[in-house]
Amino acid sequence: MITFTLNGREVTTDDDPSTPLLWVVRDTFKLKGSKFGCGAGLCGACTMHLDGSAIRTCVTPVGAVADKAVTTIEGLGTPEDLHPLQAAWHEHSVPQCGYCQSGQIMSAAALLENNPNPSEADVDAAMAGNICRCGCYPRIKKAILSVSADQLAYEVKAKALNRAEETNA
Amino acid sequence: MSTINVSRRNFLRTSAVAGGGLVVGFSLSGCSSAPLPIEGSGYLPNAFLQITPDNVVSFYCPRDEMGQGVTTGLGTLVAEELDVDPHSLDIVFAGVHSDYNNPDMGVQATGGSNSMKAHYLPLRQAAANTRAVLVQAAAQDLGVAVDAIQTEDGHVVVNGERHPYGKFVATAAGLTVPEAAPLKADADFRYIGKTQPRLDAIAKSTGTADFGVDADVPGMVHAVVVRSPVAGAKLVSVDKAPAARMPGVSHVLEISSGLAVVADKYWQAKTAAAQLKPVWEDVPLARVDSATVRADYEAALDGEDGAVEAEQGDLETGFAAADRVVESDYWAPYLAHAPLEPMSAVLRLENGEADLWSGTQGPIGAQGLIERVTGISADKIRIHSTYLGGGFGRRGTLTHIMEIAEIASAVDKPIHLLWSREDDMRHGVYRPASLMRIKAGINADGEITAWDARRAGGNITPETLKNMVPALLPNMPQGMINWAVGLSHDLFSSWFVDHSSIEGLYEDYDLANRAVTHVTVDHGFPLTFWRAVGHSYTAFATESMIDELAAEADEDPVAFRLRNTTGNPRLHNVIKVAGEHMAKMQPAPGRHLGFAAHNSFATDVAEIAEVSVEGGNIRVHKVTCVVDCGIAVTPDVVRAQMEGGVMFGLTAALKGQIQLEKGAVKESNFHDYPILRMDEAPEVEVIIVDSGTAPTGVGEPGLPPIAPAVANAVYRATGQRLRSLPLQLEA
Repeated sequence: MITFTLNGREVTTDDDPSTPLLWVVRDTFKLKGSKFGCGAGLCGACTMHLDGSAIRTCVTPVGAVADKAVTTIEGLGTPEDLHPLQAAWHEHSVPQCGYCQSGQIMSAAALLENNPNPSEADVDAAMAGNICRCGCYPRIKKAILSVSADQLAYEVKAKALNRAEETNA
Repeated sequence: MSTINVSRRNFLRTSAVAGGGLVVGFSLSGCSSAPLPIEGSGYLPNAFLQITPDNVVSFYCPRDEMGQGVTTGLGTLVAEELDVDPHSLDIVFAGVHSDYNNPDMGVQATGGSNSMKAHYLPLRQAAANTRAVLVQAAAQDLGVAVDAIQTEDGHVVVNGERHPYGKFVATAAGLTVPEAAPLKADADFRYIGKTQPRLDAIAKSTGTADFGVDADVPGMVHAVVVRSPVAGAKLVSVDKAPAARMPGVSHVLEISSGLAVVADKYWQAKTAAAQLKPVWEDVPLARVDSATVRADYEAALDGEDGAVEAEQGDLETGFAAADRVVESDYWAPYLAHAPLEPMSAVLRLENGEADLWSGTQGPIGAQGLIERVTGISADKIRIHSTYLGGGFGRRGTLTHIMEIAEIASAVDKPIHLLWSREDDMRHGVYRPASLMRIKAGINADGEITAWDARRAGGNITPETLKNMVPALLPNMPQGMINWAVGLSHDLFSSWFVDHSSIEGLYEDYDLANRAVTHVTVDHGFPLTFWRAVGHSYTAFATESMIDELAAEADEDPVAFRLRNTTGNPRLHNVIKVAGEHMAKMQPAPGRHLGFAAHNSFATDVAEIAEVSVEGGNIRVHKVTCVVDCGIAVTPDVVRAQMEGGVMFGLTAALKGQIQLEKGAVKESNFHDYPILRMDEAPEVEVIIVDSGTAPTGVGEPGLPPIAPAVANAVYRATGQRLRSLPLQLEA
């Protein structure tokens, strides 16, 4: 049995510890936003956050995340409560087929978490592990750079306040 | 939009109909009495639109969304004539019905960059007719004249008062829908030419857009398939025990394409399948290597054989009139589509009925294959189309649907089938490799006097028949199909030129004396459509040759193209506009510009690549793309498709090749079949030329000019003419 935190909730699985986290999240916990693209850590479609850092979950055994915090695209924002990056993705019409975008956004969110004012070169470096076969790269870059540090801080704080109010209510 | 969470949708439909919801449509394919695949309605045939009493406007989108923005594009058409905000539409992928056939193809399929061209008027007409009947119902209910009614944003407006459309659907359901209500004049467009952002952006940015791989039904188990490394080889023998005894495994099955392993969870099936060591039969393809392929094509072009097509004037006269003659060979390798979502589907067979969840470029074919394998009649096979995690032509071949139908027939549970990336790379269908030889003459005035173009390679059409006949004619016996496919291979080898093999080799320029010769060389490697099809390689040959001719004439490549395209006014204009931009560009030191232009899928595109060569590496910094696709219904989608076509084409130009070793594909995943990444992606500027003509496609035409534009820039940077794809500088 392996216990870890998934989008703020404690979960437990009896999947074999060698099973990649991606398949535990998709098949066992039925969160389908994170995608399978290569199974070899080469494309980034499966990107989630582990204790705040972006990881390729198609090559991360679930045994390695015991007692740690995992965040998926579903934990970042929802259609009704968009993360600033998701709002920027909408505003810039970033997606085409859309299959890679959960992974792209999770990589971008981890970047901004650590470096709220990235340069273009920072964005290139942080996003080089995420393939977009449709070629949305110019828009992905534009969307990331449009989310300024101030805006990010403001929206994240506002959301935290809302959640606190909901909990109190 | 959700296609998988059916429970909420069912409730909506049922209550809508019970409450007098309006289902209206417009037949694109003649009369039909079959019930529409709209759950809970059973009302009118030929439906694209449904309006509920609470004013939810659903659009049953007849085409598949693979990223090309078809939901946004076609949604904008109906929104325009119905007077609703496109962003308020509830867009549903239509089930299988002849009324959803592609008017340009005659079947329910998506491809060929034709969706906007084919639906521009029919869908607007269906929506205009719907608006007219709603206005008529409102006039009746409100006791006012039709002329006193205006419509906006899903509402009828009378004397400044707004009434939702839903208020009048009960009355409208009792009226006759007009067939030819007047369409808006272009000047009155409110959404066409404007819609932004795309309608699926939020779903696709929050992980809530459903793809085939995401479908999940109660009791579902997971299957993976092990196939022969060499296409077409059948299973000879295997010891199933090592897989069968692995945890969670319920079945190890022989199916037509190999061996299927079924387990409770995907990872269990995948791990167990790796234990199998099958022996496969020997087939002739097993003696083919990539080097053999190119050598065979060279021998074919050196020989006397070939079928001549597109002949005009007289080559001998043309070459006699030439001052200078240039001849070059151009090579393009096999390519994989590598959509980021590998082939996937969920199939449930229950109580003599079938439900399939998958994203395909041909839902009708998916239905046909399930019928062929299971014997369930088509009217009991529901196809729930999902978003496609990339198409590019790959999802028109439905081997995986055949596989899942065979597996589900043997296992009494719903099946989830997923191909691995290695499966996708090694067991797919591919862009044909091609060797092209062009010999051209120019006179002292810089006019092309002769154009002798030859191409050797395999043909897509017989391969397509092999895949599509079983799907479209589920009752035709396999023996007869094999005979027909064999015959078509022979016909295209010896008698006819498959147009998709040579398209783009001769159409763009004023060629008074020309001929295209085709020599079929078929190694038995599976082929299919790949984004831009023949144009993906022919534009590389023609636009490289045009650049060589301009250099031979010591002339500006744009001026040379302008002189020789007077017979193609729209392409001529695109070249002119792009040339004017190019003249103003001031590339940084060490950067060089390359130009190319091409017409494909009725759309004209010119591209300028700004390139530097550093340490033997080709780097593309910026691409300027000028496109004329007629009226740009959703201009930002046009821009996105040009950007995407450039990126997809750059991967092919700089990196892509599928190589054969003893008939098996050598590449396996993104480490050896690399895809362009963000740090290599150029800035793309798109300029849309507004010719005001009827819309043409944009999914593919952005791709063909990029490889020659880059190659032509590399020539300016280094003096080297690179005539083989992917482009690699000599050491």
